[in-house]
Amino acid sequence: MKPFTAALALSLAASLPAAALLTGPVLAAGASDTDAERQARWNEIRTSIFGDKAVQPTDTLVKVDAPVRALDAALVPITLTMPEKDKVAGVSLVIDDNPSPYAANITFGPAADPGEIKLRVRVNNYTNVHAVVRTKDGGLFETTKFVKASGGCSAPMGMSDEEAMKGMGDMRMKFAEGAPGAKSTEATLMIRHPNFSGMQMNQVTRDYTPARYIQKVVVSQGGRNILTLDGDISIASNPVINFAFLPEGQAPVTVVASDNQDGRWEHSFPVPAPSN
Amino acid sequence: MMFLPRLAAAAFLALGTMAAAPADSPVDVPEPEGFHTGPQQGYTPPTLKGAVVLDIDGLDRVVAEAKPVLIDVALADRRPAGMAADKPWLPAHRSIPGAVWMPSAGAAPLDPAHEALFLARVAELTGGDKAKAIVTFCRPDCWGSWNAGKRLVQAGYTGVHWFPTGIEGWQETHETTVVKEDPAWAARGRSEAQR
Repeated sequence: MKPFTAALALSLAASLPAAALLTGPVLAAGASDTDAERQARWNEIRTSIFGDKAVQPTDTLVKVDAPVRALDAALVPITLTMPEKDKVAGVSLVIDDNPSPYAANITFGPAADPGEIKLRVRVNNYTNVHAVVRTKDGGLFETTKFVKASGGCSAPMGMSDEEAMKGMGDMRMKFAEGAPGAKSTEATLMIRHPNFSGMQMNQVTRDYTPARYIQKVVVSQGGRNILTLDGDISIASNPVINFAFLPEGQAPVTVVASDNQDGRWEHSFPVPAPSN
Repeated sequence: MMFLPRLAAAAFLALGTMAAAPADSPVDVPEPEGFHTGPQQGYTPPTLKGAVVLDIDGLDRVVAEAKPVLIDVALADRRPAGMAADKPWLPAHRSIPGAVWMPSAGAAPLDPAHEALFLARVAELTGGDKAKAIVTFCRPDCWGSWNAGKRLVQAGYTGVHWFPTGIEGWQETHETTVVKEDPAWAARGRSEAQR
């Protein structure tokens, strides 16, 4: 018998080479039933979020990048790319097989450069991940990617709840050196917050730690909105979001974050001086 | 590699908190005398007396040769306390196709009425054949399926198999399907609520 570790992700990672060899042909056999089932699941979620509005498949308006097999199901990096960014009003991220599938909804403001968003999420089970773009003319367009990860929503953080909540609401922001003359600036926002999913068991008390998660993040510069993020328990602990914006003047970037337990934090970050 | 320190910390914590429990070692956890009454999540023994422990190849073989009764005792996801009311909550349990899902049936101690219901369901599913092949499973490091297997061995079943890697072990190389809670087992919750 192989000894199994408490951390599921580690066991998945450990058995990666053998599994990688096997998945292709096995998945191909009898995939149709499963595909139909996954499609039905998506239809159910789509209706619960978007109602009767049509959601068209797209190959061009949005792309989801994620590791096919995630090393840590509680920290799965997701990249949403929107090449035709001038058309984009917002983007939603749905993790189909998470019990709370609607992971994030991002609405872009006038100061956004909505070409790319990166987030880190929890994945509960092998699942389709959907990205849905809202265009400025009101259309909805989706694309999907299958991700193999399991147990991310219930994975304990490996420390006490008190420790996990230390410094809650602290933030950092890093600005990337843009290309000379580039109009947009890339930024990485890091928020210290456990983002308790409510599905994590306290290893000592054996109770579930109540859900405490970032519900809303509003990022702006000088009163111009860059983006508004509606979060969920599916966002990984200590949320990190990469985005780009169109700086105007030297006003700082302001972030206001709030959680579902009335936590509210506001921080400002000076923008780097133009490089040319 | 951000994930390594976190996992190491998790493993360390698990060891620390379980020092008093029988399952204090990830490599050589002894079988408890009776059921495991500690947390469902934790390192499990490599053996289950009276039952056959299966890896995925073993399970494939048993499925092909003996058409076993597959009993999934993985816990059901519950809507977390404190979650905003307008958030969609749509749990879907994926399992081995054909499995009968009786969430928490591996709990110990188990309400005697629920234990009787569990054994009655298994009797139905096996057609009263005590030698019928049965496989119990949940997830890796989950005592529920060990306890469920133990319960069946104690009840006199001779074809009990335990598949410790469970749903995760299966989906590494096989398709899962959405499985609804066994209706007869689900009814216990209602009777409990009425009490």
